[in-house]
Amino acid sequence: MSNAFAFRTLKKLHLLNYIIVGLVAATMVLPFLWMVLTSFKMRGEILSFPPSFFPKVWTIENYIDAASRLNVLRIYWNTLSVAVTKTFIQIYLSALLGFVFGKYDFKYKEIIFYFILATMILPFEVYMIPLYRMMVAAKWGDSYLALIVPMMFSAYATFLMRQFMFTIPNDLLDAARMDGAGEWFIFHRLVVPLCKPVLATLVSFYFMWNWNDFLWPLIVISNKEKMMLPVALSGFVAEHGTDYGLIMAGAVMATLPVVVVFVIFQRYVVQGISLTGLK
Amino acid sequence: MTSLILRTKSFFNLFGGINGPKKRMTLFIVVPAIIYYLILRYYPVFQTMILSLTDAKLLKKEYQFVGFENYAFIFKDPPFVKAILNTTMYALATTLFTVVLALILAFLLNPLPYGNNFMRLLFYLPMITSGIAIATIWLWLYQARFGLFNQVLGYYGITPVPWLISKEWALPSLIIMAIWGGVGYDAIIFIAGIRGIPTEYNEAAKIDGATDWQMALYITLPLMSRVIVFIVVTSIIGSFQVFQQVFLMTRGGPLDSTRVISLSIYDYAFSRLKIGVSASMAFVLFIIVGVLTVIQLRMQREDWEL
Repeated sequence: MSNAFAFRTLKKLHLLNYIIVGLVAATMVLPFLWMVLTSFKMRGEILSFPPSFFPKVWTIENYIDAASRLNVLRIYWNTLSVAVTKTFIQIYLSALLGFVFGKYDFKYKEIIFYFILATMILPFEVYMIPLYRMMVAAKWGDSYLALIVPMMFSAYATFLMRQFMFTIPNDLLDAARMDGAGEWFIFHRLVVPLCKPVLATLVSFYFMWNWNDFLWPLIVISNKEKMMLPVALSGFVAEHGTDYGLIMAGAVMATLPVVVVFVIFQRYVVQGISLTGLK
Repeated sequence: MTSLILRTKSFFNLFGGINGPKKRMTLFIVVPAIIYYLILRYYPVFQTMILSLTDAKLLKKEYQFVGFENYAFIFKDPPFVKAILNTTMYALATTLFTVVLALILAFLLNPLPYGNNFMRLLFYLPMITSGIAIATIWLWLYQARFGLFNQVLGYYGITPVPWLISKEWALPSLIIMAIWGGVGYDAIIFIAGIRGIPTEYNEAAKIDGATDWQMALYITLPLMSRVIVFIVVTSIIGSFQVFQQVFLMTRGGPLDSTRVISLSIYDYAFSRLKIGVSASMAFVLFIIVGVLTVIQLRMQREDWEL
């Protein structure tokens, strides 16, 4: 009798669920924890038997070393300025396109929309090489124009913005028109504020994607002074592959800004994932 | 004659149907968008098709047509055949394990009254971190002598595993890492799927005396089939394009045991400078991804509400 009671209480508390889910959550965090702990260890301690989990002596030597060798402030500035500019342009243009596709009627609208949407299925590798040749021909190699211009529009963001436009009542826009508002005014002062949640979601996602982007920046930017963070980190790892404290410090510095952005915009990222299946 | 002029005029009157300010705004954004997509997406894809039939080199302007020679070459080229097999293996194994684990996780996590949000936050971590940072961390975890995994195995007296440095273990190591990286995201989508199911079904089953597992297996799971199919197909498509982790961790080695399609495309274009061959490989990838996408669109037609 008491056994059955204990079992039921356990079930009610979801104890087994907590244990398993807790273990999975720990597995998710462990690699990051190990990265952080390693980055604070002295070189001798990292490569020693038996291993230590926590550093015996905490040191920031790895960070000082990595920051200067990675030229980290410069790289942060490069990545931040490109990621912010790119995100702003992508989301602004997608919002505008989404508005036009969602709220206006014009000839061939559907065809043009599908024409844009169809590019979503293209793997990057399929247009990468000719795009690179174009950038070289335009003498944009090593220029941030090569990172920004070919990625100005986004079919995905356009699609999501258009979907969101359907939730804005036409009567509202017509009422504003009656009051003499122009189309630009309506877009900037009426539509954009109403789209704030979806815009925040898109901005946080695109910022993270742009910050983490790898293959294209790897191809078009070869000047070390102009590199993006993930490319710089991969070069850093290739160069100092066995100095694990150092490369972990580099990895921490690459991860930190995105985690900060994520913590700030958490709500919107979470909404974005569960609402749209965005990845 | 007049009717011909009128007809031509109406054909070119792309944005007929609206007037004034609306028309100006439409022209302002739609025309640049069309030009952008034509020049920076459609034309390059077309050019890749053309290049795949030539002997073009990366930094040389002139090239000659060689017919389907590149395709004949790559399908007889052992490393590329290996790359197709590896990528397929990687995509299927990663997707299968990730989806099954994520489903179990979603069912366990969903009913929890406390800590639900906190634990979900932890699951986002791999998703928001750059692939290169993750690869860097795992390079260290997998390190043969001092890496965490082998240290722990050694502690329990188990023979160390030569993770990334052996032909047999390198691909599974990459798959394990990908499962770790994807399971949280998939679980979160599945939880949203579970919550989207009307509660009446389960309440009715409960009255009839169904157990939790029966309800999960026979009611919730079948009702989630759309979400599951969506995740499975998008996950296979995504895995077919894997690049960063392989590029940083193994570079396709040892002995091509982790060579994947994207890496071959990159190597042929930017190390060997043979963009003709590289373009033909890219086109093969395009066909694989295209077929998968068509399957997905077919299965989810109603979901798109276009």
